[in-house]
Amino acid sequence: MGIAQVPLADYLTVSAAIFVIGVIGFLLRRNPIIMLMAIELMWNAGNLAFAAFARHFIDMSGQVFVFIVITVAAAEAAIALAIVVMVFRRRPDADVDEISVMRG
Amino acid sequence: MEGYLRTAPFTILFLPLFGMIVIALVGPRVHRIGAAVIGNLSILGAFVLTAMLAWTVWRLPPDAQVLTVKYPPAWAAHPQFWAHIPPLTISFELRIDSLALVWMLIITGVGFLIHLYSVGYMADAKGYRTFFAYMNLFVFTMLLLVMAGNFLWLLVGWGGVGLASYLLIGFDADRPAAVLAARKALIMNVIGDVGIMIALFLLYAHFGSLSYKEVFGNVTSASQSALNWIGIWLLLGAVAKSAQLPLQTWLPDAMEGPTPVSALIHAATMVTAGVYLIARAHPIYDHAPIAATTVAVIGCATAFFAATIGTVQYDIKRVLAYSTMSQIGYMVLAVGVGAYAAGTFHFITHAFFKALLFMAAGIIIHNLGGEQDIRKMGGLARRMPLAFWTFLIGTLAISGIYPFAGFFSKDAIFDQLLASHHPVLWAFAVATALLTAYYMFRLLFLTFFTGEYRGEHEPHADRSFTMMIPTVILALLSVVGGWLVLPGHDAISSTLAPAFADSGKLPRMGEINWFFTSIATLVAVLGFGAAYVLYQRGAEIRVRLSTALRPLRALLFNAYYFDTIYHWLFEVPALTLASDVARYIDPEGVGGVTAGVARAATGVGDAMRGWETGYLRRYGLSMVIGMVLVLAFYLYLAHGGIAAGMK
Repeated sequence: MGIAQVPLADYLTVSAAIFVIGVIGFLLRRNPIIMLMAIELMWNAGNLAFAAFARHFIDMSGQVFVFIVITVAAAEAAIALAIVVMVFRRRPDADVDEISVMRG
Repeated sequence: MEGYLRTAPFTILFLPLFGMIVIALVGPRVHRIGAAVIGNLSILGAFVLTAMLAWTVWRLPPDAQVLTVKYPPAWAAHPQFWAHIPPLTISFELRIDSLALVWMLIITGVGFLIHLYSVGYMADAKGYRTFFAYMNLFVFTMLLLVMAGNFLWLLVGWGGVGLASYLLIGFDADRPAAVLAARKALIMNVIGDVGIMIALFLLYAHFGSLSYKEVFGNVTSASQSALNWIGIWLLLGAVAKSAQLPLQTWLPDAMEGPTPVSALIHAATMVTAGVYLIARAHPIYDHAPIAATTVAVIGCATAFFAATIGTVQYDIKRVLAYSTMSQIGYMVLAVGVGAYAAGTFHFITHAFFKALLFMAAGIIIHNLGGEQDIRKMGGLARRMPLAFWTFLIGTLAISGIYPFAGFFSKDAIFDQLLASHHPVLWAFAVATALLTAYYMFRLLFLTFFTGEYRGEHEPHADRSFTMMIPTVILALLSVVGGWLVLPGHDAISSTLAPAFADSGKLPRMGEINWFFTSIATLVAVLGFGAAYVLYQRGAEIRVRLSTALRPLRALLFNAYYFDTIYHWLFEVPALTLASDVARYIDPEGVGGVTAGVARAATGVGDAMRGWETGYLRRYGLSMVIGMVLVLAFYLYLAHGGIAAGMK
């Protein structure tokens, strides 16, 4: 029989936990690098849910979505890091609350 | 033959429009005479083609003389209609019958003579090319009006002549009086257009079609009261266009336009469109006695009313305008009592002698440098012999002196009035004839005799050949035009008979009743005598009379204060309302609403602005809240409400 089947609910619980950690990290931390990491956590929580559903429903499109998300997340991280680097060059500290120059 | 009868009306109709377009396109590139030549040739061409068409049609058997020609022809790929709004189908159709042909001959024939006259008269005017373009536009729309084969195309022509009239009255746009007169004419004519439009709606409601053929063919299927209403609304259009009571006040003011315009549009052709309309709609009026009687009474009242005003006016063109109004009153009266042939006959002779009178007056005005006040004329008979002799012929013709044209046509109308048992209308018509002879000879005496020349400008002799030739031709026609109808020989009725085959009452003219004819002639001579005594012999009688009748004179001179009444009745309330709206409703009401909308948008913007703090984490929170809300919404959809989900 091999490894026992892990139920879908467990995967989703883990996924939701990771997502909530990501959200809280994004909302509470002020260092942009940490915030990017929190965003990555949310991406991957979504990926985990996708993969779990793909397995549960025996439907490969969920796994295809995971690849797309990984690709987009990589692109997003590249752009965000570039922005963060530019901000670091111009300002001594990198607190997102300090760089609110585009407020209405 | 079939092809000719199909293409000829189309060519006649569009030749003047084509001329106008050519003037508009090449006009600025050629000498100004080029525009005049194009205009004249296009109208002359239309006249020659009309004469040929008339010659062809009038030789057909009588029952084949009413042609309905539809465009585009059957072999074309297009369907046979111009507008198709089920169940109403409107074709572009022309109706060529003797009634239309008579009008077409006068429009193109007299129209050509006046075009020719304009070459000389307008020689010094600004906008020479524009003038000819407008005149061509007028001829085109007027032809459309009389050639149309259904009421919708008639209305298109009807509005078109109103437009051309507006453009030409206000041709001298530098003078505020001309612009105001043009506006007045347009507004009054549009009242009539609306009347016709309402008649069209009623026609559609009762007959389901606007085509002459179908409406006139089924005219008895509608009730008499419906036909009466249609007749009354059509009459409103006729009244406005033909300057009859109570919409007559625009015509005297329209004399602000150049004299050839007055001759063509406001004497010979356009103002008689009302007569045409009633003659054309004769199947309706034959079955609508109340409407027909109204037509007759309005015509008679206008004839008398305008003649009384004509007796005291001092502007040469205004006298002629009031006489036009009065003569059209005769025509309307004639068609109102069912004497369609007599009305048409008077239209023909009137077109000749009234265009002649305007042209002769135009020569005088031209030679006096624009002077129109007859108090500043006098003694011109020797200085302008051509103008004098032609004006004399016109005056004799309009006064109904034998053997000039007006005698025969007026006599025909008087005869028909008696034959149809309308003695009261006849009495007023004869009284009008007396006044007509009086004011026309008064005008003649004051202009050409009554002492020496009283004006300031030194008059120069009439020279322009393009002005003299048409005047002489029309003078000849004013002499011989009446001979179309002689005892035992009635060219008009026999020509018109096929067009009125469904009427059943087209009485023959030319049966001279010697007693009543002598009365009419005697009355005309009496009018001449009165004018002669007052203006050639007894100056002191004239002075004493005018002092004694001062209030009456003032009443007549101001045309019964119609303008004043309309001013207080319509203009003042409308202007008061408009200015009140401008002062109160516009800033408070309309302005308030728009300002409120703007203030609301600004307020929403201000409120939203507070959210845009620039703090990245606040945006993140917004996204999370939105996400939670979307999620909650989907949960609600999936479980039929949170309460249901909790069970």
